[in-house]
Amino acid sequence: MNRRKLTLFAGLCAATLASGFSNAALAGKLEDILQRGKLIVGTGVGNPPWHFRDEKGDMAGFDVDMGKIVAKGLFGDDTKIEYVNQASDARIPNIVTDKVDITCQFMTVTAERAQQVNFTIPYYREGVGLMMAAGGKYKSRDEMKAAGAGVTVSVLQNVYAEEMVHYALPDAKVDQYESVDLMYQALNSGRADAAATDMSSLQWFMKQNPGKYVDGGYGWNPQTYSCAVKRGDQDFLNFVNIAFREAMTGVEFATYSKSFEQWFGVKPPEPKVGFPEELR
Amino acid sequence: MEQFLHELWIARWPLAQGLLLTVEISVASITCGTIIGLFGGIGLTYGKWFLRWPIRVLVDCIRGIPVLVLILASFYLLTFAGINLTAIESGLLALSIFCGAHMGEIIRGALQSIPPGQIDAARAIGLTFPRILAYVLLPQAMRQIMPVWINTGAELVKASTLLSVIGTGELLFRTQEIIGRNFMTLEFYGLCGILYFLVNSMIERFGKFAGQRFALQ
Repeated sequence: MNRRKLTLFAGLCAATLASGFSNAALAGKLEDILQRGKLIVGTGVGNPPWHFRDEKGDMAGFDVDMGKIVAKGLFGDDTKIEYVNQASDARIPNIVTDKVDITCQFMTVTAERAQQVNFTIPYYREGVGLMMAAGGKYKSRDEMKAAGAGVTVSVLQNVYAEEMVHYALPDAKVDQYESVDLMYQALNSGRADAAATDMSSLQWFMKQNPGKYVDGGYGWNPQTYSCAVKRGDQDFLNFVNIAFREAMTGVEFATYSKSFEQWFGVKPPEPKVGFPEELR
Repeated sequence: MEQFLHELWIARWPLAQGLLLTVEISVASITCGTIIGLFGGIGLTYGKWFLRWPIRVLVDCIRGIPVLVLILASFYLLTFAGINLTAIESGLLALSIFCGAHMGEIIRGALQSIPPGQIDAARAIGLTFPRILAYVLLPQAMRQIMPVWINTGAELVKASTLLSVIGTGELLFRTQEIIGRNFMTLEFYGLCGILYFLVNSMIERFGKFAGQRFALQ
């Protein structure tokens, strides 16, 4: 897609320029944000249950709730947030150019990306699943695997999309789409036999449309989701990490747990009282 | 259909806001662009070489760059000059510059088509250059500019959809948000297309009306 390439190009230009100009902030990010009185969170808009606008027009989703946890830690008030809506490929450019303080947008942690931004501690581990139309040609991943090259799978555009699908269905034809709704549209119109995308998104969509789709019964491709902040400010990164750690294991666990259950339909495991187990 | 109407009712405010922002951004950038273009066009036609050449280079560069690149550049590149514009501001800047470059060229063309003898004649009766422009040249140029100007306006409304890339909440972006929630892709993109069509056909109507106003009786 042209637009993606261009955004990427602009991002690269920006990154190159950034290394040239050393615009070091006078105070740290943490002080800047506290003085400003609000946190600027970069996230997307069209991917429930991660980030989307609910029917009242408010931002909602698990990514959005992670932003709220940081805002609550900063100001004791999780409404002091300004959202910057960004496409997936604007995630890194917007951090590098200080358009946002933090990006929480189902961002897969890779070592390559960690050269450009600082990742926080992870808040979820995602996997990929398959979804088919109910009453369609194929009932499960095994049937599709047996059908070989006759199967078309719709998938979200990504550099490793082809490889990812072929891990589960070695001979399938892979059609890449720009957004999740277009992927589902391909499935509905019969252009694709199955859609392969994040398990959490599939489960959310199946819950919204009961009886219309079936799960392929196979999950693979683990990926870790973290928020990202600008490189070089260890102090702010440390603050966010503490806020997240305490949300997953400490005083804010109730908030994290409630959000987790709301968006994924299951409760996360309770932190055990006694020895802090994450140190084992 | 019933489900669509239900979802449409839920989405009525975001859609209205998006439509309003699209219209606002278009009107603002057409206005700014026309002012830039007016000075640019006059400079291109009657300026001395040290004024004309830099404008020529600027206009040609901007006309040669895709609007999307202009938008991304004003959003990202300016931050390194210490200017941190919001999405709407950088969108307005990019579209105004784009419109300005095109209008400059259109106005130059219109002005050059007026016989130079008219300037001599106007000078002979003692008019200063600003008055020659206001009373002699621009009223005649207007007749040629009008249809192309309307066209540029319609182009700008369409170009404003590109602002969705940097997260400006205009009509296309709001539509994408709504589809992201309810997954009614065809219905809402269709509606979005109809709304753009309505805006542009209104601009065209206005153009016809204005064209008659400036026509020779």
